[in-house]
Amino acid sequence: MATTTAAVTLTSDLLSDAMSVTASTTCMKAGTTADGLDQLEYAVVEIATGDEYDLICSTPTASKASKLYVKNHSIDETYFVAITQNAQAIGRLYGGDWMFIPADFHDAAGDIAITSNGGTNKIEYALFHEGTALTAT
Amino acid sequence: MATTTATITLSSTDLLSDELALTTTATLTTAGTATGVTQASGLSRKTTSAASAAAIQANVLYRAGDYTANGANKVYIKNTSSVVAEYYTVHVDQEQIGRLYAGDWMLMPWSAVSGTKQVFTVTFASTWVAGETWTFDGITMTCPSATVADLAAEVHTLNYPNWTTTYGGSGAAVVFTARYASDATEVVYATADATIVSANPGTAAISAAAVGSASESDITIRPSVHTAMTYETMLIHE
Repeated sequence: MATTTAAVTLTSDLLSDAMSVTASTTCMKAGTTADGLDQLEYAVVEIATGDEYDLICSTPTASKASKLYVKNHSIDETYFVAITQNAQAIGRLYGGDWMFIPADFHDAAGDIAITSNGGTNKIEYALFHEGTALTAT
Repeated sequence: MATTTATITLSSTDLLSDELALTTTATLTTAGTATGVTQASGLSRKTTSAASAAAIQANVLYRAGDYTANGANKVYIKNTSSVVAEYYTVHVDQEQIGRLYAGDWMLMPWSAVSGTKQVFTVTFASTWVAGETWTFDGITMTCPSATVADLAAEVHTLNYPNWTTTYGGSGAAVVFTARYASDATEVVYATADATIVSANPGTAAISAAAVGSASESDITIRPSVHTAMTYETMLIHE
């Protein structure tokens, strides 16, 4: 099995005391602690302002333990990409922001979609997953 | 200006032919600016449980109406469990985002798009006597005098669990606004929804009521088991 680790550190001086939150997880397949996620889609795309696009073109196996990482590489702080799922607004990734979420892909409506705003946004994304429902040619 | 950073490291030595070692840091700023975010909910920890599997309910982590819509909000959630079968299913409104399995964490941007809140106006009129009462939302206003403006002012001083109030500083009318957006199918509030205890003909008419619309992006999580599970969460917001 592959071993992939995802770690996060959140730090801030917002509060009276310095905040430092850390967490680390080994990305496992659903329902196991012995078999790690072993498939990956990793890409960088430039998305022009305008239409909404599905970020993931294939359909990873639904209701598994997929993890999706997305980063907006824009350096203009007014640029952002809007993240939606089945027309539900999830959030906005401004220039420099990243996200890491469990991505369920529970059905065809569960695709993660992305819309560029402000200008062309350069997006890096990685999907760690358990398999893909391939479409026959 | 406060500085808040979020760093992620994704690493694997055996997933690809070469080592995967991805690290990036984001300095969290308010929407469309280089100014650092200024507010955080603080890290919290909660254990969920229910009497039985059939009694499992979703937990509301954050209500959109409490935060700035379309801001650069970020939500952190971690499932602290180490048991394989214990996961939280994360939803934004009714959309299922995914499952946080044991030990998993997530950092997600959050639009916090709310609906609209119900509003109504109560207007005090006619004869009231000091000591008489008007009760709404479990809170009782005791009439301080025979002047209806004093009643309205008194109503505005009280704390209602599900409503906030607006009072213009004079006059006999108080505007009630629901604390949370709710679905348009809710009943419009009417005079009869409050209780007057008065031996006199004092009135408290509810008028100009308007229903709201459902919140569009509250964040909820539902545990997979009814036995105790614990999560940690923090919201960094505008």
